[in-house]
Order: sequence, then structure tokens, then C-alpha cells
Amino acid sequence: MSFPSLTIGDLTIPKAVIQGGMGVGISLSGLAAAVAAAGGFGVISAAGIGMNEPDFASHYVEANNRVLAKEIQAAKAAAPGGAIGVNIMVAMANFADLVKTAIRENVDAIFSGAGLPLDLPGHLPEGARTKLVPIVSSARAAVILCKKWLSRFGRTPDAFVVEGPMAGGHLGFKAEQIDDPNFVLERLVTEVVAGVAPYVAPNGNPIPVIAAGGVYTGADILRFIKLGAAGVQMGTRFVATHECDADERFKQSYIDAAEKDVVIIKSPVGMPGRALHNEFLDLAAEGQKTPARCPYRCIHTCDYTKAPYCITLALANAKKGRLRHGFAFAGQNAWRVDRIMSVADLFKELVDGYDAAEADALA
Amino acid sequence: MSVAEKVKEIIVDQLGVDAAEVLPEAKFVDDLGADSLDLTELIMAMEEEFGVEISDEDAQTIQKVQDAISFIEKKKGE
Repeated sequence: MSFPSLTIGDLTIPKAVIQGGMGVGISLSGLAAAVAAAGGFGVISAAGIGMNEPDFASHYVEANNRVLAKEIQAAKAAAPGGAIGVNIMVAMANFADLVKTAIRENVDAIFSGAGLPLDLPGHLPEGARTKLVPIVSSARAAVILCKKWLSRFGRTPDAFVVEGPMAGGHLGFKAEQIDDPNFVLERLVTEVVAGVAPYVAPNGNPIPVIAAGGVYTGADILRFIKLGAAGVQMGTRFVATHECDADERFKQSYIDAAEKDVVIIKSPVGMPGRALHNEFLDLAAEGQKTPARCPYRCIHTCDYTKAPYCITLALANAKKGRLRHGFAFAGQNAWRVDRIMSVADLFKELVDGYDAAEADALA
Repeated sequence: MSVAEKVKEIIVDQLGVDAAEVLPEAKFVDDLGADSLDLTELIMAMEEEFGVEISDEDAQTIQKVQDAISFIEKKKGE
């Protein structure tokens, strides 16, 4: 068995690797198109996507919709025939607007986590071909979504991404669960595969389960495939590519990071998050940063009156390389990054690593 | 069994709390220790038991035990 492909409904991704959506502005059309052209699933992050529009504050919904549409069109044009998806967080105030925009632009899939996307299928018009893929952190959440979507919309999700506690950015776990062996990804994947086994995807096949959070090498991919995953989602590895949409200083911060620099922070939106430690975070922890105002109200769960800083602004600054005014989200394995490569080379490394691990297992 | 009794029974069953704790003014999150998944499952269990549909918007307004009882009584009365 060579490197697997991934089938979601009528969509076949030649290489079963989904590039995780990374906001703010880390995965846009540049990275997504490169991944799609290399045979993976390229994903644009919709978080704060309209950040650089002159009317971002005055016409928040329109500015974000406009840039999302533009990025989808650019990615599709740069990777004809490739799979392009969008990651839209349930917690975003303009969730429904972004979902409608993505469907109108005919994206191949919407990946949606940071909350349960209970009403996501309600936005999909009859005959639309966009696949709906919730991101969950437990079998329980996956089963709730299957049941709720079936009773309300008569359909199940097209696939699930199960994101474990080694992922970067906001995590769907309580702080004390992050290092608890009961929540390791291997276990979560097994539980989600078993939990959704009684259900079938809209195309009549078993619902594919995609493993995410801490997947780094081809050998990792083989391990999760053997546990019943249909593919993997990876973020950190794609940051360290030439095509990643972040500033070079953002990428360099991954290369410079040591293991101790990968830390868990308490994000202003009320969830733990994994990031690279820096001075900005130290000052924030001391309470020295305070947002003066908030024109956007972008995340439902963010109490901006108590937030020590604006997370959207901090992440947008980091994307531009201004790390004194922000910080980089990163996966647990970010310290292992030692160079920037092309997306094509990364895929080659993953396939070679997968084949080598498989040959080892057979020997 | 009255709606109130049945709702309380579902809450005890879904949240694994003691019946004595399920007072009308008890808040699901603050007093009964429910998380967002618990709340969703609770709503689903009530939908199933009473054969009603509870929209996401309505679900958001159900924060206390009495909210749930009143909501179901109103729905059943319609």
C-alpha cells in the first residue's frame, strides 16, 4: 500500500493530507493553491481575512466576505482542478456570512471548528457540492453532530477532522486535559472512528475521519492510517514552506524556537492556545496590554472589556512579522522545524517517510 | 408525570447530578457543572422526549432549570 488518497463524497484528494486552516492570514490563497497543486487539500483560513481592507472596521461583514471571495478565486485560478477549502470558526460573529460566501464561490469543503457547527447544513442550497467537515476534539461531539444533523437536516457530515491536544492555536481541551494520556490523538482517532461507525456519509460510505494535531512525519501519517484515519490534517509543517502566506520572520520564529518555547497560553477568547513564547505574551500575562476599544466584536466568546489584548490584531501583527506586537500560534512540534522548504518538497518528504515506515513495518 | 418532573428527570440523567440539586433557579453551567456538549445533549434529549424542535436561538435562552420547564410547557401548549 502506497501513500493513500482521500475520498470525501465525490471528491478525491490524490494525497490524503489536508493543510489546516491557519489564521490570521497564515494560510491564504498562496499556501492553499500550492498544497492543492501538490495533490493535497489546500485550506484558506477565514479568520480576520479582511484585516487589511480600508473598511474592515466600518463594514466588517462586507470587507471579510469580499476578501474571502477574492482569495478563493485566486487559489482556484492558481491550482486548476486542485482541492480548495475554507476554514470558518463557529465562534466567529460573521460565521453565517462567511459560510454563504464560501458556498457561493463553490469551495470544495468548509472545515468548521471552535464550537459545534450545528446549523452549518442549513446554509447549503440544494445541489451545492461543497463538503461540510466539522472539526471536533471528541467522539462525543462527533456523535452529537451526526444525530443533530440527521434529525434536523436529514444528512450527516461528509467527514470529520479530529484535532487532538498537540495542535497549534486554539485548542478544544481544558488546560488540564492537554497532557492527559486519555486525550492523546491516537486514542481520540480510535474513539471517533468507532463513534461514527454506525453512521454513513451522505454518499452512503463510512464517514472519513481525519487525524490532526502533532502529525509531523510520513511515519506519523502511517500510524494514524493504521488506526483507521482516512487522512491527516497538518498545520505546522506548512508554515515552514516558501509558499506559506506569513512573513518570513514568522516562519523564522519556528526555526529559532526551542522545545521550551512552545507554550500553552490562555487566550482572550476563553480557550487555551498553543503558541511560541515571546515578550509580547510575557507583557500580556502581566496585564500590561489593554485594548482601548473593539470595533469588530469578531468572536462571540471574547469579552473585550477584560481581554488583555486583541487576539485578532496580535495574530495579524505576527503574520506581518511584527512579533513585538503579537505572537505566533504553533503546534507542539514547531520546535522541530529546522528549515523552510517548498510545499512540493514537503510532500515528497512525507511520501518518502511514509513508504520507508511501511517498508520497516513489513521487514 | 408532569412536564416539570419529566424535565428534571432528563436533567438528572443527562448531567449525572443529584435530583436535590435540580432546583428551578439552578443554572446549568454555573450550578450544575454542564459544558456546551452537555447542554446540546440535554436539548436533544428534551426534543426526543417531548417531540418538539428547539432552535439554536431558543436553546441559547435556556440557562436555568425553570427556563427548560417553561419552554417545554409553552411548546406543548401551542
